[in-house]
Amino acid sequence: MQTENSELVKEIQQDDKTRSLWYYSWKRLKRNRLAMAGLYTIIFLILIALTAPLISPFNPNQQILEFAAKDIGFEGDVLIKKSNPDNENENKYIAVKNIIREENGKLFFTDYTDKEESINTSELEFENGSYKQKLKFYLGTDRFGRDVLSRLIYGSRVSLMVGLISESIAIFIGLLLGSFAGYFRGSIDKMVMWLVNVIFAFPAILLIIALSVVLGKGLWQAFVAIGLTGWVDIARIVRGQFFSLRETEFVEATKAIGFKAPRVIFRHILPNCIGPVIVTGTVGLAAAIIFEASLSFLGLGVQPPTASWGQMIFDGYKYIVVGTNWGLAVFPSIAIMVTVFSVNLLGDGLRDAFDPKLKR
Amino acid sequence: MWTYIVRNLFNSLIIIIGVLTVTFCLLYIVPGDPARMMLGQRADVASVEAVREELGLNKPVYIQYVRFMTNAFKGDLGRSYATNREVIATILEKVPATALLSISALFLSSLIGIIIGIISAVKQYTFWDNASMVVALFGISFPQFSFGLIMALVFGHLLKWFPISGYINSGFIYLILPMVTLAFRPLAITARITRSSMLDAMSQDFVRTAKAKGLSTYKVVFKHTLRNALNPVITTISASLAATLGGVFFIEYIFNWPGIGLLAIDSIFKLDFPMIQGTVLFSAIVFVIINFFVDIIYAALDPKVKLS
Repeated sequence: MQTENSELVKEIQQDDKTRSLWYYSWKRLKRNRLAMAGLYTIIFLILIALTAPLISPFNPNQQILEFAAKDIGFEGDVLIKKSNPDNENENKYIAVKNIIREENGKLFFTDYTDKEESINTSELEFENGSYKQKLKFYLGTDRFGRDVLSRLIYGSRVSLMVGLISESIAIFIGLLLGSFAGYFRGSIDKMVMWLVNVIFAFPAILLIIALSVVLGKGLWQAFVAIGLTGWVDIARIVRGQFFSLRETEFVEATKAIGFKAPRVIFRHILPNCIGPVIVTGTVGLAAAIIFEASLSFLGLGVQPPTASWGQMIFDGYKYIVVGTNWGLAVFPSIAIMVTVFSVNLLGDGLRDAFDPKLKR
Repeated sequence: MWTYIVRNLFNSLIIIIGVLTVTFCLLYIVPGDPARMMLGQRADVASVEAVREELGLNKPVYIQYVRFMTNAFKGDLGRSYATNREVIATILEKVPATALLSISALFLSSLIGIIIGIISAVKQYTFWDNASMVVALFGISFPQFSFGLIMALVFGHLLKWFPISGYINSGFIYLILPMVTLAFRPLAITARITRSSMLDAMSQDFVRTAKAKGLSTYKVVFKHTLRNALNPVITTISASLAATLGGVFFIEYIFNWPGIGLLAIDSIFKLDFPMIQGTVLFSAIVFVIINFFVDIIYAALDPKVKLS
């Protein structure tokens, strides 16, 4: 570590060009292997979320009740109906045990209750010389026979979206209140800090839960509830930065020129505290993802049938209690952990990159 | 010292007023008529009106607010929609279980967290340091409920070492899984802070002097470095209390531990608003009170804290 840093210092000294703080921070970040691993994982997860419809093997809400709560790697036989443009929501798959015979354009088969059924062959897809198709569920199925892998993939959308949007709300409020408190001080500062202390007194998760209970279940309620509680840390950091930056010469100069307060705050002081805000925001993002999962775990966040990791864990929890199908709860847990872990790794790296004096 | 205590008391009081105001607003913006929720949809108009009168729901907002505040200061938080019992009585019943769980978890996490932090700092960049810091980051990244589930799965179902559900009155062994699960996150935070604070102290001149004098490693670490590194650690531990108070909700739910957390989550599922409000309010006020005492102890122990 020591030698790496001195290498960087040498490189900076040999570089004739004057470069921005961002350039050097990025250089330092790139040297931190753990942080870069975190960054790549986050990019990977974002790609998964964006391309979910292309890469997930099934529609995440596709139920095949006969295949409910199957283990990892389960394979089941189905007949696939041709897609019907009049009724998109119709169940596409018919679970089948055995095909008995084909007669006069009709296919006779036994279903999962060993009952004999028949269907017109013209309605079915015919592939690889058979009507019977094998479906593979790599991570098993949940209690409605939905594919766990597909739901995991789609769940990343909710987690990342709630994390990003609610943290943006938090950063917006935090920046605004923090900078006003730090710039104007006096009674404005007292009021903002009072609010900060009041919000801080509540266990964050409880306040979020209470807010979402009050606002009702749903996605935007989750954004608001998490955003309204998350701004506290940002406001504190920004206020502290303003306290020290306010005394610097360049701020004095802006006042001497006669700039109005908003211009000084937003054009001159705020850009100088973006580093710490990014670091705190990353930590907040990690927390927001956990909060979202906690809300869905309680059935408060995104509503079914939309897939979300917290909800999957809650559903799987019932199976853990009886001691079967543990994957249902464990896979989404791992997904949340990997996401939050990489965000935290990146946050740690960013802190070191923006402030090289600090140690991990 | 006394002025410091009085001023802190005053500040805490102002924060409690804010906390009460926020919880009042929470209940006030709940959609629907509380009187109807108490009596159910089939109640007749007359009795709904009677309840509205009794709860003061037909009065303007500011009168309701004053009424709520005075009642709250008297310790009256209303009645549960579900059981019609007094909220505060129900909560107080559950306090011992939650206190036992949180305090034992906090003790465990502080002790082990500080030890791991010291080892990591003294053996910086060795295998032990890297491994324990990765585990610590892991601990921060795991939502407590899913960690709890995995603990229940591994130690309860697969290994069958500990029971996964039940209360201490059936034996100490029932405490272990919830306690360890709850301790994991604060432990990780404490370990990280102890490490960085130790490293900070170790790079200072007085530690180099102590080493140069030829003191034993034990003395350098514990007598010189640790003492100077402990301040941020104590702050973190008192902040961890908030984390344990928050985390206790899911842990109690998962391990079926009959404390305030289980009560809160049950009332969320039942949409029992007064009970939800009561548990939120109670946790926040406990937090403010604990912080008040921590600040005073802190000031008494550390002469550097400004008393004026």
